[in-house]
Amino acid sequence: MVTIKDHKTVKHPPQNTLLETIEQHQIEIQYHCREGYCGACRTKLTKGQVEYKTDPLAFIDDDEILPCCCFPISDIQIDIG
Amino acid sequence: MKYTTFNQVNNNPLIEPMFFGNPVNVARYDQQKHPIFEKLIEKQISFFWRPEEVDVSKDRVDFQKLSDSEKHIFISNLKYQTLLDSIQGRSPNIAFLPIISIPELETWVETWSFFETIHSRSYTHILRNLFGDPSSIFDDIVENKEIKKRAEDISKYYDDLIFATQLWQTLGEGTHTIKGETHIITMRELKKKLYLCMNSVNALEAIRFYVSFACTFAFAERELMEGNSKIIRLIARDENLHLTSTQHVLNLWAKGKDDPEMAEIAEECKEQATQIFLHAVEQEKEWAAFLFQHGSMIGLNKEILCQYVEFIANHRMSAIGLGQPFDIKNNPLPWMNNYLSSDNVQVAPQESEISSYLVGQIDSEVSAEDFGDFDL
Repeated sequence: MVTIKDHKTVKHPPQNTLLETIEQHQIEIQYHCREGYCGACRTKLTKGQVEYKTDPLAFIDDDEILPCCCFPISDIQIDIG
Repeated sequence: MKYTTFNQVNNNPLIEPMFFGNPVNVARYDQQKHPIFEKLIEKQISFFWRPEEVDVSKDRVDFQKLSDSEKHIFISNLKYQTLLDSIQGRSPNIAFLPIISIPELETWVETWSFFETIHSRSYTHILRNLFGDPSSIFDDIVENKEIKKRAEDISKYYDDLIFATQLWQTLGEGTHTIKGETHIITMRELKKKLYLCMNSVNALEAIRFYVSFACTFAFAERELMEGNSKIIRLIARDENLHLTSTQHVLNLWAKGKDDPEMAEIAEECKEQATQIFLHAVEQEKEWAAFLFQHGSMIGLNKEILCQYVEFIANHRMSAIGLGQPFDIKNNPLPWMNNYLSSDNVQVAPQESEISSYLVGQIDSEVSAEDFGDFDL
């Protein structure tokens, strides 16, 4: 499950990137490249863990993730600001 | 310190700072102090493209259909982008290479600049198609008041760093009087100039292109100037990567992961860095006003474009720890994202109608007769 602060908690299908799941629920999130190199979708991860199948190139802080190329591996809480 | 093209000191590049350490000697990438730059090089090279492969011939017809105010918007933006890439095609090399101390960053800067030269060549490709003889367009770049104003602001941080570096390389630290002007050269001052310059470059890559991108993609939304839009999409993809690199440099400094003195300077000059960014935002808004002075275009006006600049600025500024100074929360031009997504840039040459693969291709015309033997 993915809990998005100030929005709702949604189910995450494992084949989706986190960004795709957020978009499927019509929650507005910024994105550009969708490949992890631009950082436009940078989001705070407040609880849980995600993994990357390709290395994210954009700068992210220790508590941030890139929804466009990450896959949750536990229930997570995020804040898309 | 005198620059040497091959530093004979057997130094360990893994403990050099990014800038102002020993000059680089061996161009080696088997070990890296900051592996991110090697990854950026790989990614950038995988983006390689040639302007001539994009068919812009239909744009010539579209261009004739544009209103005068739309022509003004289109051409002014191309002039401005030509200016930006003229500066970016040379300046990172001249300003940063003489003071870089790790090979992966040195090669990243060279790769980055090289791609800016592809962008410059693509503007000639676009303009030559539209005008036959585009010299008057290029000539105006050094005459146009609105463009010159920006040129001065962008190049001054580079020029300042380059001049100070030259003095340091030839005369060393100290107080130097050149043609009656006194210059105090200390390592601290040099690093400050570098910090401000990097912030100015970051702001350039972050927002200066986006007013122009928005106009290009607004034409494309109306199925106009699509060859141009394809090229600008490729340029936008590269610029996003360049921005990532300057964000990394600034954050490596600020978080104390490189030169500890640069972390102090980042703290000390935070206000100046913020002002550089905000000034660029103001200039881009003025640019929007200049573009729309003779009238708007469908789907875009000055107000919405200014909101978009603020929206983008919020994102870009928070990425380097400068907060989100503007109130705007929602993207006023959501369709822009479709054009900035790499999913929509053709990358596999064998795919579809392929702007990015055909070499010297001609046939872009499809007439009604081509469907003559179709039965539905």
